[in-house]
Amino acid sequence: MSTLEELTALSTNPVNPAINEWKAEGKKVVGFLCTYMPEEILYAADMLPIRLRAPNCTETTLADVHMSHLTCTFMRSCLQDVLEDKFTFLDGLVFTNSCDLVRRLYDNLREIRPSDFHFLHFITVPHKASEELVIWYKGELNAFAESIERAFSVKVTEAKLRQAIDVYNETRHLLRELYELRKSDSPPISGAETLSVILAGNSLPKDMYNHMLRKLLDELRQRKGISKYRARLMIAGSGGCDSPDYLGVMEELGGLVVTDSLCFGSRYFWEPVDTKGDLMLNLARSYLKRPSCPRMVDNVGERGEFVKQMVGDFKVDGVVFQRIKYCDLWGGQLLYTKKDLKESGIPLLSLEREYVMRDVGQLRTRVQAFLEKIER
Amino acid sequence: MMEEKKSVLEQVAESLVIYNAALSAVGGEETRGIGWLMNLLNTYFAEAGEAQAKGRPLAWINFAVPSEIFWAMDMVPVVVEVVNGLVAPFGPKALEYIDMAEKSIPNYICSSCKVLMGAMLSGDITAPDVLVVPSQPCDSNLAMYSVASKRFDFPYFCIDMPYLRSEQGTEYIAGELKKMVKFLEEKTNRKLDLDKLKQTMEYSNLAHEYYLKLDKLREAVPCPYSSLEILAEYPAILCMAGRPELVDYLKKRYEMTKAKVAKGESGLSSSTEKYRLVWIYGAPAFDLFTFSWLEQEHGAVSVNSMMNNFTMQPVEDISDYDKIMMGLAEKLKLMPMTRECGGPWEQFIDATIELCRRTKADAALFGGHVACKSNWAIMKLVKDKIREELGIPTLILELDVFDPRVTSSDALRAKFDDFFATVLRK
Repeated sequence: MSTLEELTALSTNPVNPAINEWKAEGKKVVGFLCTYMPEEILYAADMLPIRLRAPNCTETTLADVHMSHLTCTFMRSCLQDVLEDKFTFLDGLVFTNSCDLVRRLYDNLREIRPSDFHFLHFITVPHKASEELVIWYKGELNAFAESIERAFSVKVTEAKLRQAIDVYNETRHLLRELYELRKSDSPPISGAETLSVILAGNSLPKDMYNHMLRKLLDELRQRKGISKYRARLMIAGSGGCDSPDYLGVMEELGGLVVTDSLCFGSRYFWEPVDTKGDLMLNLARSYLKRPSCPRMVDNVGERGEFVKQMVGDFKVDGVVFQRIKYCDLWGGQLLYTKKDLKESGIPLLSLEREYVMRDVGQLRTRVQAFLEKIER
Repeated sequence: MMEEKKSVLEQVAESLVIYNAALSAVGGEETRGIGWLMNLLNTYFAEAGEAQAKGRPLAWINFAVPSEIFWAMDMVPVVVEVVNGLVAPFGPKALEYIDMAEKSIPNYICSSCKVLMGAMLSGDITAPDVLVVPSQPCDSNLAMYSVASKRFDFPYFCIDMPYLRSEQGTEYIAGELKKMVKFLEEKTNRKLDLDKLKQTMEYSNLAHEYYLKLDKLREAVPCPYSSLEILAEYPAILCMAGRPELVDYLKKRYEMTKAKVAKGESGLSSSTEKYRLVWIYGAPAFDLFTFSWLEQEHGAVSVNSMMNNFTMQPVEDISDYDKIMMGLAEKLKLMPMTRECGGPWEQFIDATIELCRRTKADAALFGGHVACKSNWAIMKLVKDKIREELGIPTLILELDVFDPRVTSSDALRAKFDDFFATVLRK
């Protein structure tokens, strides 16, 4: 089995053999909902942070009772999986005020499953990245570290934090290298495959993942590139875009996804964390100032510039802006993005979707029409 | 013949005239208070309409932002949700704006934002000099205004608020308010005068003292206010905090209401109070006569609502700038809806239960604005807790606060009829 096949297999289920081994060694696994939570702090406490997903959730009948049908299906699917006891292996969950539904998931879990998780913590993440707010965020992260120490009788030392940041920076560097390969006219890896690779890393110990990434890069450099495609695409938009099949539909039709602005994609790893000086402050600054999601209110223009930079660097022919139904943050961003990309002469396809992939026929029709418009 | 294009503020002024006439038709002497209120709002919106032409900066703010600082800087603050709420009930323009907005943004964004976006896209409202909103209570608010400011190119400031409430959090917000002042000074070329701010705070505190007394009087059985009188006060309390005219109005209202309570008089002219209702979230702003209908048809008075639940105390210490900012930060944390919807669900349920209990509510009404994901996501928790703590039912209504096409007035009234016939029989 190639490393790509191995990673793809690991991406299909958030629970994998590596997690089982980790737990068998008596170590803790803590889930989180949003990439504004610095994983390094958990890793420094010898815990495995895994980002909650519900890729195998097919319906949300239990979750709908509590969170109603008028809310985002990503969070409802996560709640559904909790209620179906699919996350019983987790020793804790960390929440942030990323969006309304993440914080309401926190409220619901505290009330309807108060004993499910030994550790529940909420971090307030500022909505702006001024230096004063970076310092505030550092305070929140310090409080988080202290909370972990109390709950699990561990110590988050400076040395372990530095080591964790080094490991995660290595991950960021290796994923950037992977993306560099996609800039070529014949990338050796598709968008769907790339997403699978990133998703696998969401629930693997990072040093193991880094080892696999290095092997993968060696294999890809020998792999024949993909030269037959109709157009080079960029995917941007909502969190919860964690379905390689979704990208696969576009690629079956001849599109090739060469880059993205997703939190399950480039925004997760684009900037390294500085390791000189105050590490917690560096974490706070790095997580707040990296390519942002619309929860960061002062960065509307910068998000647009990031997309346009990616379009230029990866020779993108068209941007697919997907958003999960009921995602206000990305829905609002559309008002600016539409005008911005139009003025820049960059074709845009705006798609609304549910977390669980349905209406494939409609998706195919829309993508097909878009490809016909922009194909090389 | 081409319809004359009216600006949004002109539409609001017209709405108030219609509103006043309709309310005056309901009854006699008891509508005197409403007449005072309408005069107050007419003066305010006339000022807002003329502000930019007369060289006064116009600030759009959201319903959580205390208006005092703006008045102290001789700006005119306009609470955008109030404007939307006054456009929505009268005529088709609000729906046109919503439809216009939905060409550019998803339909599930809050229609409060959609009314404003549509008005901007159609050119019926000119850009403000500044826009100030807090980071709470919701994503629609957070996303739309920051993007709109970039799209339509006007200065924007976000007052960031920590999610969990604490003393440290109040300092954080006070820091943000100070930054907001610097932003306003830079963008308007005006300096905040401390003496003027203190004067504004004195008026704000006086008004608020009367408001709290009025709120206490409204707990009386029967309620001395009609439903529309309570709801109609909300725009004035929000927009005019810090103005002497608001003090005058609330003082007169207090004296009038005290006399009514002493005589055991109801706020209803043509029906008898049978049920006391509290709107614990949204309400059909698109049809304000729903509330009069409830009174006439079912004897049900809307004795209070989340939006009228200003429980904060006046700012105690206004001796210096830092103390005023801390006081306003505390006020901001407790502003209705921001308090309930912007933080953990305990803030919603604690405020709601306290409100229902002190107003002796027979039922809670959850006017579930369809775009409000954060409240729908805790609706079951809220409904169950109210039953557990107070033993009263909660009527859940799925509606759009500004758009009757989601759930019409007739459909809402049918639900009310069922509710009174089956659940809330007396």
